Amino acid sequence: MSATAERPAARGLAREIGAVIAKDLLLEWRSRARLLATVLFGIVALALFSFAAGADVAVLERGAAGFLVLALLLSSTLGLAESFRVEQDDSAMEGLLLLPIDPHALFYGKALGNTLFLSLLGPVLAVAAVVFYAVEVGPRALVQLVLLWVLAAAGLSAPGTLYAAMTSRARSQDVLLPLIHYPLVVPVLLAAVKSIDLILNGDPMGQLGSWTALLAGFALVYWSLGGVLFPLAVEE
Amino acid sequence: MGGRGAVLACPGDMSRSGGVAIRTRHLGRRFGPSWALAHCDLEVAVGESLLVAGANGSGKTTLLRLLAGLLRPTTGSIEIFGLEARAHRLACRRRLSLVSHQAFLYERLTALESLRLWARIRGGRANDAALGALLEEVGLAERRDSLVEAFSAGMRKRLTLARARLEEPDLLLLDEPFSALDVPGRRLVERWIAEGAARGATVLLASHQLEQAAVVCRRAIVLRRGQIEWEGAAAEAAARFEATA
Repeated sequence: MSATAERPAARGLAREIGAVIAKDLLLEWRSRARLLATVLFGIVALALFSFAAGADVAVLERGAAGFLVLALLLSSTLGLAESFRVEQDDSAMEGLLLLPIDPHALFYGKALGNTLFLSLLGPVLAVAAVVFYAVEVGPRALVQLVLLWVLAAAGLSAPGTLYAAMTSRARSQDVLLPLIHYPLVVPVLLAAVKSIDLILNGDPMGQLGSWTALLAGFALVYWSLGGVLFPLAVEE
Repeated sequence: MGGRGAVLACPGDMSRSGGVAIRTRHLGRRFGPSWALAHCDLEVAVGESLLVAGANGSGKTTLLRLLAGLLRPTTGSIEIFGLEARAHRLACRRRLSLVSHQAFLYERLTALESLRLWARIRGGRANDAALGALLEEVGLAERRDSLVEAFSAGMRKRLTLARARLEEPDLLLLDEPFSALDVPGRRLVERWIAEGAARGATVLLASHQLEQAAVVCRRAIVLRRGQIEWEGAAAEAAARFEATA
């Protein structure tokens, strides 16, 4: 049997991805610890940024995009590490790997679950930003913000899932994960900050499309590379 | 086993490989500077039951984990039913089950949810009635909706056995399958191995309880410091190595 023939059909892959996502959502619902910790951490981070920036409303408004994306990045570290901690208890992920599951399905299932998880942070952090930074958002901008937030979450989740898998067996995962994750996602960070800033503070030069395309491009690269490299990361 | 066949369908046959279920050549695995397994040349025929004996740290678990595809070999190669194991990982995994020291369970899933997850990934039509029957067989029917985190070691082992029985595997890799089980649990494992052997499944049984294992295995190998030190009849191995392996 050739390697190509062994590749599961798209339906099989979709079923496996669905099973991984459903399992992660159920586990998350059971404990809710990760969700609670990540949301609280994001809100605290936004509050601390507002204290650091001072009481100048103009400064706060100008920095709001950066603060929001940084809060997402910092919160993601907590969430991503936790998403693989549950796989390490009782070597549960090895149990999945013993099944005829395509490792790519495992990656895309986990990464999609993490994207969904980080996307859900958006509305909460947006409300916090309105409170702390006096940000005003119209209905159209709100839709754009939601889409960009999901894109940024996807851009952070793919490499984050890969690195969380790589570091999940390390004793010092909490230190290692941000050390290797943060430098890699700088392009996503820059593109997301610039795009959100253009939405919040106006886009007179029409640059939003370019920055969004850049963000989507990096997300696409990370999702593709993550799928290729993940099988190597989970094999001992 | 009642209802098990309805849980999942067995994938296509690929065992026409001259009757060899497992073939390893120069198989070795190193952890840091030390070799857990080295120069392991092993051939197990289809339908054969092989006892893998040896003292703690002799390489039994490493051998089984390599065969299951959970470890990457440092040297050598593995063929499962004639297929190179690393190149045809998924095809090989469709035909084997590993019961290990570790239960490989999610603490915050119930017994039924765990089976549902595995059945769904395996691609079978897993209905709760069939999965419930499986849980009943391993003595967990009353705890089907309990979270795994509340399970004792023996109950976890029973759930692992149920998982391994989701599909009738052609190759059973059993690493200390009797440990943590009470007497009825051990009988269950013995019956399962006997049933597997009767339908032509290949069994690799790593155990310290050689006399018990010799009942279900004909041939044995004894590992020492990661190498095959002795090979012969399982009954003879039980007589010679019971005190040391």
